[in-house]
Amino acid sequence: MIAPALAVFGAFFLIPMARLAITSASGPTGFKIYLAFLTTPRYFETLVYTIILSISVTVFTLTISAISGVFLTRNDFPGKNILVSMLTFPLAFPGVVVGFMIILLVGRQGLIGEITKSITGEKLVLAYSMTGLFLGYLYFSIPRVITTIMAAAEKIDASLEEAARSLGASPWYVIKDILIPALIPGLISSGAICFATSMGAFGTAFTLATDIDVLPIVIYTEFTLLANIAMAAALSIVLGLITWIALSVARTAAGATIGAAG
Amino acid sequence: MKKRSKLFYVQLFLTLLVCAFLIVPVIQSVTAGVTDNFLAGIRSGFTLRWFVKVWDLYRDTIFRSILIGLACLLVALILGVPAAYSMVKKQNRLTRLFEEFLVIPLAIPGLAIALALLINYGRFTDFRRSWLFILVGHVIFTMPFMVRAVIAVMNSVTLKDFEEGAASLGAGFWHRFFQIVVPNSMPGILAGSLMVFTLSIGEFNLTWMLHTPLTKTLPVGLADSYASMRLEIGSAYTIVFFFMIIPLLMAMQWVARPRKKEFPVETTETPQKEKKDYAMQAHATPPVFQNPQEPRLNVSGTSLKLENCAKTFSDGTQALKPFDLTVDAGETVVILGPSGCGKTTMLRIIAGLESPDEGGKVFFGEEDVTNIPIEKRKVGMVFQSYALFPNMNVAQNIAYGLKVRGTSSANRKKRVNEMLQMMKIADLRNRRIDQLSGGQKQRVALARAIAVRPRVLLMDEPLTALDAKLRDVLRVEIDSLLRSLGITAIYVTHDQGEAMALGDRIVVMDIAKVAQLGSPREIYFEPRSRFVAEFIGTINRLQCHAKDGMLFFPGGSIPLESVPSLGALNNQDLEVFFRPEHATVVESSQGHLRATVVASFFMGDRTRLLVDGSSTEYLTIETEGTRYFKKGQSVDIRIDLTSLLTLNV
Repeated sequence: MIAPALAVFGAFFLIPMARLAITSASGPTGFKIYLAFLTTPRYFETLVYTIILSISVTVFTLTISAISGVFLTRNDFPGKNILVSMLTFPLAFPGVVVGFMIILLVGRQGLIGEITKSITGEKLVLAYSMTGLFLGYLYFSIPRVITTIMAAAEKIDASLEEAARSLGASPWYVIKDILIPALIPGLISSGAICFATSMGAFGTAFTLATDIDVLPIVIYTEFTLLANIAMAAALSIVLGLITWIALSVARTAAGATIGAAG
Repeated sequence: MKKRSKLFYVQLFLTLLVCAFLIVPVIQSVTAGVTDNFLAGIRSGFTLRWFVKVWDLYRDTIFRSILIGLACLLVALILGVPAAYSMVKKQNRLTRLFEEFLVIPLAIPGLAIALALLINYGRFTDFRRSWLFILVGHVIFTMPFMVRAVIAVMNSVTLKDFEEGAASLGAGFWHRFFQIVVPNSMPGILAGSLMVFTLSIGEFNLTWMLHTPLTKTLPVGLADSYASMRLEIGSAYTIVFFFMIIPLLMAMQWVARPRKKEFPVETTETPQKEKKDYAMQAHATPPVFQNPQEPRLNVSGTSLKLENCAKTFSDGTQALKPFDLTVDAGETVVILGPSGCGKTTMLRIIAGLESPDEGGKVFFGEEDVTNIPIEKRKVGMVFQSYALFPNMNVAQNIAYGLKVRGTSSANRKKRVNEMLQMMKIADLRNRRIDQLSGGQKQRVALARAIAVRPRVLLMDEPLTALDAKLRDVLRVEIDSLLRSLGITAIYVTHDQGEAMALGDRIVVMDIAKVAQLGSPREIYFEPRSRFVAEFIGTINRLQCHAKDGMLFFPGGSIPLESVPSLGALNNQDLEVFFRPEHATVVESSQGHLRATVVASFFMGDRTRLLVDGSSTEYLTIETEGTRYFKKGQSVDIRIDLTSLLTLNV
């Protein structure tokens, strides 16, 4: 019964992907194209920027989401459900919409610009810089990570926390010794997903049209504007490899933590 | 109101800040979409004219996105649900390859997938230009979400039990797939469907690469409007998008909401007037031995024969050594043994859920059923987990076996009524399965298995999940049921009390092999090995030495001639065994051995003593309940010498 799915998967993913790999080496330099990628500053710097951006987004998202996620699962207060709904609403936004949201917030006609202008007389515009990208990535990452962390926090046995408190642990000790260790596997896996999504995000950067290029934008430019298909393919392969490795490492690491805890 | 800590307010503040970050721009875009001039602000007045503009410019993208979303959902369902089912059912190279597929949308950026598709299929111009090209990308991207969601639910609902239950009632593969697998995976299928549709509606990364000017989707149109239109038009267009996804998101939350679990109470367990009878019968707990010669009322079952049946699992472990077993028509045979001894495997071979190793044969009457799958064997099976189908109510569960066998609706109804009456559960007819108590589930499971008039009734630890008191009641009930139906029954248990009470014969299992086969009396009074003796009740052991016509043991001695089972022995070490009830405390001159009381357990009708008779192990002795013993008290013990046993250790 798996055969039809496998056939579609083979025809429209495996074969095209193999073809992509072959195409990457079809240029005049063959497989040396990957060397060219490492030695050409434009490509290599883009890669470094993209990685730095993705890592910092991941760290920020994890910190914020862990605090809010645990807070929302552990406390009941009026209006909580609405708050949760609002936090998860942007889950379904495509990257372009996220970009537009950032423009509305910190763009040339944005709210923050208006506010800063009325206070300091100077318009603060962040949308089209690295900060804009960072905020945009944060915007689409937080809802995803918060939902995973809330699901993980939901599963923590409440009696563990009660036991710790019965032994005299203060709220901070409970967080340090019970909650965080229990959340680690979830943090690792959602962090990896956050990183991978950030690496491959295209729509947000596309809408913001920033002065700093990220890898997906370069791939797009190489392919459509410069018709450098071999380089576009090679960059895609590199990008795919990085995200795939990040996810595999996370899977192993998350598994190992569970093993050590059990 | 509870007093909140400072920590609470710090966290609340941060959470509200995050919320503001996410929601303020949404509010801004909603305002901008209905404002006459965004730069001039709300004062410029409200208008709907931007929506008219959006409708004129972009309505085709909206319909195209819905079309692609629905088509994508359809393909994901047709391909994804069966694939998920195969992956849950069996692990092989194909399913493992497919597992890798599940990480694609996360691991491989959409841009790379799109590029690969373009390079490979871009030259098929007609395909490239049609919306189907985008559909292909969406299917590859979204199907893993469907498969994941379905797998998660399939793994959590003990699908295997339900399927075996359905198979035991005669349901073939497609029946099982559409009536059991699909309905019980519904929450997953629903969640996956919403996910697939929502993702497809909002997909941009792949679509931007795959679209042509004539195949723009909603997000592509959005990007276009952001880049080239007034901010108000982009905002109005975004509002349209919000309106499309809000119902989807709400539906998703509704599907994923935690369901309140109802805890059924053991109320309608047994109608009041019968309760007393059961209580009385149940009170007579200590082995009520059935007389094997007691005639059956109406024998309706078939005889059963297993020849040379062994079971080796694919990892090489031998679950069962070769064994033979013959069961007469109408007989109840209990398979008794500790956990992991292979008793359930034996039952599953009879059921047809496992096949015996090469050379083994299973006969129902004269018919060789070895290669007949369970759904064609006409057996009735009661599972340890009951395997009642949660997607059907009580009456539908009972009728299921009749339904898949094509019984007419009128006959089905009649039989279901009979079964409901017989099991005294008529008032539960329309209940959902999760509204039943353990005992009620047990009755429904029995009714379902019996409804099809099976040739053999198979029960796999049917009482294990119940509490002790209910177990006693139901044991009596099952016993009278088996006897009045005269059905051939195989009953697996690890509880020796159940085995004694229910079995015409008992198969005692040691690890992977039959230790002894016999009537309850034979098993209890003439155990053939120490394993059997110790597994069935309590037994005491004495280390003895036979010399000069006397049998010496720590704390006493007896003349050999008074032990008929021993015969002539001399100068020989041996072990003898006796049961607690075959020894009593007597006056000091009449005892066979003297011992000290270690502990005494008052049990009402009798008192059980643990005594130290200076042999290596403590002895267990039973005495009448009226006497009182102190710890450390010295007692004289007399053994019923005719009941002494020697065993092959």
